[in-house]
Amino acid sequence: MKGRYEDENLTWIPLLIVGIFLLPFMLKGITYSYKYYLFVLNMAGIYIILTVGLDLLSGYTGLISLGHSAFLAIGAYTSAILVDQVGIPFILSLVISPLIVGIFGFLIGFPALRITGMYLGLTTMGFGFIVKRLIIALRVWTKGAGGLEVSPPVIFGFTFNSDWDNYFLIFTCAIIAVVVGRRIGKSKIGRALMAIRDSEQAAEATGVHLAKYKMLAFFISGLFAGFAGALFAHTSHFISTDHFDIILSIYFIIMILVGGVSSIYGAVLGTLFIVLLDYLFVPELKDLIHGVFNIEGGDIQSLLFGLIMFLFIIFQPTGLYGMWIKMKIYWKLFPFNPKKRLI
Amino acid sequence: MKKATGLFILTGLLVMGCGNRASAPGVSEDKILIGNVQDLSGPMKELGAVLPAGSNLYFRYVNENGGVHGRQIEMKVEDHQYNPQKAVAAAKKLIEKDQVFCLYQVIGTSPCEAIRPILAESGTPLVAPATQSGSMSDMSREAADLIFHTDTGYDKQTRILVDNILADNVNAKIGLIYQDDDYGENVLKGAAVAESSTGVAIQKEAYQRGATDFAGQVANLMKGGATHVIIAGVVKEPIIVMKTAAAMGYAPKFYGTSPTMDHRVSLAAGPAGEGFTSANFASLWNSDAVAAVLYRELCSKYEVPEAYMGMYHFYGFITAQVLVEGLERAGQYPTRERLVNGLETLNNWDGGAFPPITYSQTDHAGTESVILVEVKEGVQTVITDWID
Repeated sequence: MKGRYEDENLTWIPLLIVGIFLLPFMLKGITYSYKYYLFVLNMAGIYIILTVGLDLLSGYTGLISLGHSAFLAIGAYTSAILVDQVGIPFILSLVISPLIVGIFGFLIGFPALRITGMYLGLTTMGFGFIVKRLIIALRVWTKGAGGLEVSPPVIFGFTFNSDWDNYFLIFTCAIIAVVVGRRIGKSKIGRALMAIRDSEQAAEATGVHLAKYKMLAFFISGLFAGFAGALFAHTSHFISTDHFDIILSIYFIIMILVGGVSSIYGAVLGTLFIVLLDYLFVPELKDLIHGVFNIEGGDIQSLLFGLIMFLFIIFQPTGLYGMWIKMKIYWKLFPFNPKKRLI
Repeated sequence: MKKATGLFILTGLLVMGCGNRASAPGVSEDKILIGNVQDLSGPMKELGAVLPAGSNLYFRYVNENGGVHGRQIEMKVEDHQYNPQKAVAAAKKLIEKDQVFCLYQVIGTSPCEAIRPILAESGTPLVAPATQSGSMSDMSREAADLIFHTDTGYDKQTRILVDNILADNVNAKIGLIYQDDDYGENVLKGAAVAESSTGVAIQKEAYQRGATDFAGQVANLMKGGATHVIIAGVVKEPIIVMKTAAAMGYAPKFYGTSPTMDHRVSLAAGPAGEGFTSANFASLWNSDAVAAVLYRELCSKYEVPEAYMGMYHFYGFITAQVLVEGLERAGQYPTRERLVNGLETLNNWDGGAFPPITYSQTDHAGTESVILVEVKEGVQTVITDWID
């Protein structure tokens, strides 16, 4: 089965989707603590939606954002307010909330017309601080820093009340996000975004409207973050400013770096890798780590993430997805490989 | 017929016996496993290490004296880094994977709020959440029937402080410096209640968690003419605020909520902290209260490092007393439901540190009073009895 592009082999996609939806049943059969693993996977699913959008902005377009936890927060609070206080259905909120966050993204895109790199990163980080202050100030709707209780998702009368139910909702949305992200990446828009990243002057010379596409990149990225935020609020049942710390924005950047920038599948792999490392690997090994180094799991986590990012940037800039591609090429050419290192 | 009746009665008794021995997660023949979620590597990690250490001191004492109904208490601690999402993950792990009997002493308001759905879903009680937010004993909230609060809420503390200030000086102009997070939100709630009940307007100045510069807030209070200032901070905030005020030549009477009661405040603030009065929901660790005497004895017996000893370590110790009392009352064959029922039988229970604790099916606040502690010549001195 070939995709729209000659190099795309999509045979494995239906199998993967079936696998994704069979996974909860397999987990339930294997372990009594499957609900815990489903919770971790659900979180990864929500973050995948966000990092796909972030990859389109930072990976494809080269515009760094340290404000994506704020976009997530706006999506979460908007949806919580729309559903629980305004009374609109959750399914409608899944459309409106991303659009509102997209508009915020569009507005944040303005500075990106003049600044790039570290300065843009700092500007988006500042946006994160402003959003946090706004949430606290708008306490009539947000309940301030005390946090907001949120109702569970209800679609056509069905209430998604448990991690089990949430898994199917979140991963359906995540699959849609990945497909849409891939399509955007391979479309005219995606090519324009990559052209801007590689050389703004060259892109402009070939007819790419810089301002339009840069702001479009922020808008699209906001849409994905808003979608993730709406799901986050209703599946978590409680949101507060502590959920959307600036450090989360940095983790999102690490996720796409580890997965491999400019690759939607890379964003998926990187997010899974970091979330599983953070929520399964570190807690499991924290006692061992504490015993050997006399430091807490959380401290080693920051150290580990820093080290992983450092190693990937130096030795594997194409990330996990790049590694996978190289391995595929290696086996395709085997045994006639050029004398090069595998990884 | 007699045989059949006898057999019927015997079967009935056996069934009843089995029912009584219904097993619960985390309970084995010789052990009860409880779960604790602390901030071990986040902004409150200093407390995260000390609180469970205080609890373990009491558990060790109980275990060496035969445990609870012959079972040893074991506590598993997870880290949430003061992140509510991590708190949810940690609570899920403890309940689903480690199969703990109950949760105990989860630190922080937003982490405790975030885990409410898990408590409700699994029916797991949370005993003595380590936050003084009044929302913990709000019985209209989700899983409120499973949460047993031991501390007087920040809202009530603030209201008591305002009442006390006005009782001393009816013309007092009151200022409030609060942290703009969940903690401060609950303090503001108490301030609003006090404002409406007394008719006095309180000048409010916010600061961000982790702030180290309070010159702006102090200058505003000075400009507003506040004669009495309540500091709703933790340890470093009251120290810096009082030192800043002293440096600016501004000398209102300072008050603080319970987290500011740490003895390091008076030590570090020096002369600027003289007269600082804080509210506390338990007796002092170095007082003559029964629990405090036992605490110091055990610290000495088990050679607890001096750096650990103090308000927060003692807090871990006394909340462990409440949990153990609940476990005792849950009976020989404890279940989560029996723990809830057992705790709800506490009626003016005096553990020797908290004011008498009362729980019922409709009230899980435990206590609603505080003592006031004033720094006199550098020494913390209790100046009131329990007031509410």
